Order: sequence, then structure tokens, then C-alpha cells
Amino acid sequence: MGWNHSILPGDVRVNPGPGKIFKCRSATIPARVRKARFSRMNKFWQLLFFKVKCRLKSEASTSYLNYGWWVVEPILHMAAFYFVFAVLMNGGTENFVVFLLCGLIPWLWFNKSVSNATASIRGGYSIMMQTRVPISLFPAEIVTQDLVKQLLVFVLLLLFLFLYGNTPTVHWLALAPLILVQLVLVLAVSFLVAMLEPFLPDLRYLVQTGLMLMMFGSGIFYSYDLILPEHRGMFFLNPMANLIKNYREVLMYQHWPDWVALANIFLFSIVVLGLCVLFLQKHRTTYARLVLET
Amino acid sequence: MQAIAISVQNLGISYRKRLSLRRSEPHVVLSDVSFDLLKGETLGIVGRNGAGKSTLLRILARILKPNKGEIAWQVQTVSLLSLNLGLDPNLSGVDNAILSGLLLGFNRKEAEQSLPEIIAFSELGEAAYEPVRTYSSGMNARLGFSIAINLQPDVLLIDEILGVGDAEFQKKSSEALQQKINSDQTVVLVSHNATQIEALCDRVVWIENGRLMAVGATGKVLEQYEKCILA
Repeated sequence: MGWNHSILPGDVRVNPGPGKIFKCRSATIPARVRKARFSRMNKFWQLLFFKVKCRLKSEASTSYLNYGWWVVEPILHMAAFYFVFAVLMNGGTENFVVFLLCGLIPWLWFNKSVSNATASIRGGYSIMMQTRVPISLFPAEIVTQDLVKQLLVFVLLLLFLFLYGNTPTVHWLALAPLILVQLVLVLAVSFLVAMLEPFLPDLRYLVQTGLMLMMFGSGIFYSYDLILPEHRGMFFLNPMANLIKNYREVLMYQHWPDWVALANIFLFSIVVLGLCVLFLQKHRTTYARLVLET
Repeated sequence: MQAIAISVQNLGISYRKRLSLRRSEPHVVLSDVSFDLLKGETLGIVGRNGAGKSTLLRILARILKPNKGEIAWQVQTVSLLSLNLGLDPNLSGVDNAILSGLLLGFNRKEAEQSLPEIIAFSELGEAAYEPVRTYSSGMNARLGFSIAINLQPDVLLIDEILGVGDAEFQKKSSEALQQKINSDQTVVLVSHNATQIEALCDRVVWIENGRLMAVGATGKVLEQYEKCILA
């Protein structure tokens, strides 16, 4: 019971000398310690899912339409774009609404989660001061909460594409790995900014500006064809530009995505995410102190 | 001679108070505090507001790390008992109870198993399924106390938790705590209420302006403390 099992049976205690606190270092990992770690992981997932459920419930309870907003809000967005680009500007690029939505919807997900996660650790202040809950919880719950709503948005997007006359093809199946890769990317970037923000509170403003710049560099309103061929390599270094191109390949042009690029983004994001989680784990008291000081 | 649960030696903690971009000055909260917490005892901590009592509890709970000194924990679990842990006003008392349980480190099954007990002890009845925002402050406090008292760590740290709710619930919560204390639970209790400290604690630590003024038998230390605050 409790999050306090950092001194586990079987851990070796070493005294690093006067002025320091006892630290625990595992020489070998006995089975019971492994079990305790597993139970801690298990508790973390249970806490994360219950907390997200509570957040969604709490959020929904503050409006008359409740969960209805999860559907109504994206439909209103899509309707607005449809009105402007298909009705008012009728005759522009063919299929421009579809083109735009296939870029905008993944982008809005990235943008929303990263900006929501930026100050998430600071937001966990009161909980952090009362219990030793893992700090990763705070960015993780934000990203998970957004993910739930985003999955519904993707369903609506597919519905829109279908109603707009795009027949579903087998390539739409590639949407699943695409969403998974983007999720890992969103987690990595969200954890990274959340991890740095307590050290540098001004990062909040930089993140907003950075997201704005990234939006223009992600090819949401234009196709990558417009980028000069010699600069395309650089353009696709932006993982969101790369993902958006692939979303369009899959949903609009009946192609399979660029698997190598997806694998690269996935691996890179996993490494960044892993490092962030380790850092947060190792420095939990530092965060409690930082949040208290600023 | 009782065994030591936590030994604190020359503990010091200071925060950085930022004045401008480059300049900051240390704000000393605790300095040179030493005492031992014995297994099975109830230790009271007294001191004026801002003396550093809550910070001390957070260090004992391993939430904050001190800048100076040495602390040796001879126990496995130390829990800070706190009211209103992450209570969300839009959620029901039951949801909040489960959430608090999970935040305190129980697993889902344990958190759900303690629900009937929490609902019974808090005397909320059907209101337990209503959103917490509809609760009176007394109901709120009763819920918080009922969740928290379910913890069974090796060392229980309690920060100003008593004196919640109406007179009847106060009596009930005091009794519940007394029961815990009698069952060989090691407890550290922070309170402004001298009568409570006198009734519950074996020994008392008195902190003033971040410095240790006295540590020893309850009656003796309280007498000195009261003389000082009345003067």
C-alpha cells in the first residue's frame, strides 16, 4: 500500500556520506522487488485511467450538452470550413475542404495536447505536496484525456470523407498505425515541454510561439509540392509535416503511408518519451521544490 | 528503549526566493532540527503559523528533500494524511473517494473495498452519490477525514486534520484517531490545539521560526510553549 515503496525489501541501502540522504540502489532484482515494481506500474495505470474518466465526467457535467460537445464541437468546426471553402470559395482547388481537414485535424490534436500539457506539472501542485504520486501522471492524464476526444473526431472525419464522396479503401486501415505514431509523438513532445516548464516558467510563451511557427511549417494549408525540391528534406524533418503528408496519402490518394518515415518518428519519440519519464522519476523531489519556489 | 522509526539529524531546508531574473535569496524554513521518532509513539509538533511544521511533515513524507542534514527511515511506508486530496467538486463523493484512494497509492480493488466503510463513517448516506459541490463544508470535511483515516502506513503524518465537522463528528474523529494511536501506530501530529496534543501525544517537538526550541515529554514542552506564546 502507498506510493512509498521506494525502499523496497531487497534494495541495498548505501550511505553516501554526511549531508546526504540515504539512497537505495538495487544490486540484483529479486522476484519480490520485481513484483512490487509491477504492482506500482499497475497502480499507476489504474490511477491514470480513473483520473481521466473523472476529468472527462467532471468536464462534461459543467455544460448542458454534456458529452454531446465531443461530437458537436468538431462538427461545428468542419461545418465552418465547409461553408468557407466549399460554398463561399466554390471553385478553388478541387477537394480543398478534404485536403484541409486531413491536415488540420491531426494538427489541432498535436497543438491542443502540447499546449494543455505545458503547465501540467505546475497544475498538479496540490496533489504533489500531499502524496508521492509519480509526476508522469500529470502530463499523461492531459494527453489521455485529449486522445479520447480525438478518436471521436477521427471517426467524424471518416464520416465526412464518406459523405463528401470519398469511397473508403483498404488504405484507410493505415489510419490506425498513423494515429498510434502521432500519439507517441504527442506524448513525447508533451512530456518534454511539461518536464522543462517548472525550470523555465517562461517556456509557456515560447511553446505558443513555437506551435504557431510549426503550424505554418507543417503544410496544413498547402501541399508539400509547393516546397522547393532542395528544401523538402528539411521540411519533412518536422514530424508533423511528415505525418500530415501521410494522412493525406492514406485518406485522399489511396496510397500506403511512408512506413520508414513512420518508424523513424515512432522510434525517436519513444526514446524521448522514455528519457523524460526516467528524468521525472529520478527528480520527483526536485519538481516538488521547483513548483513550490516559482 | 524503543526502536527508532525515523531519525532526523541537523535537518535544514531553504527555498530560493526569486527577486529578479538573476538574483535570488534563500528563504530559510528550517535549520538545524534534530529529533528521533520512535516506533509506536505519537509525536506532536507545535509552533506558530509559518514555523515550518508543514514543511517538516513533507520532508518526513519524502515529498521534499532537505538541503542539509541527514534523515534515516527505518520504516517502509510513511503517509501524509490530508483532507481534500484532489477533491473535484463536480464529481460524486464516491468517485472522489476512489480517486483519493488511488492517489494515496491504493490499487483500484482496495480503494473500492474501503468504500462502504468510508460512506458509513462519513454518515453521508445517499448524498455520497451526489456531486461534492452540493455538500456543506461539514460534509466535505467528513468525507475527507473518512477517506484519509483508512490509510495504514508504518508512520502516519497528520497535519491539522482534527476539529473538522460538527461537535459530534469531532468526537467521532478523535476517537477514530485515538484508536489508531492505541493500536501501536506511529503517528506524527501537527496541531494548534494544545488540549488535543496533550490528550494524544507521548512527546512533543516545538519549532519556532524554523528552529528547534524543545523536544521532550508532552507536559513539559507544552508548558514552555504556552508560556512563550502568551508572553
